Amino acid sequence: MPGRHVLITGTSRGIGEALAEHHLAAGDCVVGCGRSKSALSHERYLHVEIDVTDATAVQGMFRDLKKRVKTLDVLINNAGVASMNAIALTPVETARRVMETNFIAAFNFTREAMRMMRGSPAARIVNLSSVAVPLRLEGEAVYAASKSALETFTRIAAREVAPFGITCNAVGPCPIKTKLTAGVPDQKIQDLIARQAVRRWAVPADVVNVVEFFLRPESSMITGQVVYLGGVS
Amino acid sequence: MEITDDAIREVVLNAMRNVNAARDAASQLVVSAEAPIFGPESTLDSLGLVGLLLDIEEGLQEIGCDVILSDERAVSQKRSPFRSVQSLVSYVGTLARE
Repeated sequence: MPGRHVLITGTSRGIGEALAEHHLAAGDCVVGCGRSKSALSHERYLHVEIDVTDATAVQGMFRDLKKRVKTLDVLINNAGVASMNAIALTPVETARRVMETNFIAAFNFTREAMRMMRGSPAARIVNLSSVAVPLRLEGEAVYAASKSALETFTRIAAREVAPFGITCNAVGPCPIKTKLTAGVPDQKIQDLIARQAVRRWAVPADVVNVVEFFLRPESSMITGQVVYLGGVS
Repeated sequence: MEITDDAIREVVLNAMRNVNAARDAASQLVVSAEAPIFGPESTLDSLGLVGLLLDIEEGLQEIGCDVILSDERAVSQKRSPFRSVQSLVSYVGTLARE
């Protein structure tokens, strides 16, 4: 279904950038956003520099977006930050920042986007979770809690947006070499990978594959689901 | 130009007529300036209320009034600004004039 209007948060780098490139290659129009500039340059790509945790700025962005396009087909809540630290050593401000970015921003974007998605023939919301939720690793309490909130939000949002023909699902990647995992000690990553059925790093294309499955028109009965990569459950 | 209560009421009633078009005969909403919208006297459930409010937001945008109808009292039976046409018109008017 090329020609979709796709909004992706956190497209400045990593998985978000890969998702934007994929949709542009598929012929979609992509609106990306993030705190920094994007290296992406394409006639069907619009980048908005925005702090996704700023609700007023997000509302303004959607106001502008409505002037450009009538309907939004896909929202991918990808923007995320990590904090790998013991609870005892984590400043409360860090915990707040992680929750704001990983959960509140997704809530805000979903609340705004669903208003623009009602006219789409195959509207889809996809949230980026993490295998950190089922693995419950020490040192990832805040990060995993924020993604856990996002997963519960996904399952309940699925029920609330279903009457408008919108599905809402999540994909939980295992470790991928991005800026987000760059600060995690190598041993920690190796321990994590050892708990996967498929014991290797994932690549952004693995995430794109699951997202594409959720986005297919034939996936209209798939909603409220979380799919983890690497055989983690 | 300040939006009038009459214009808001017209948008609300139009949205209610649209919602009725997709509902069966037994669960039609009463469309009048005095009608209830949400609560024991209405057949609208909470998801139905969301759909109606999103239609109303769209209708308001078409007449140049850009508001988001979110309120933490939304499903409160006594205090919800969405309990009747009258309370909703008054609530939208307050938001539009903020």
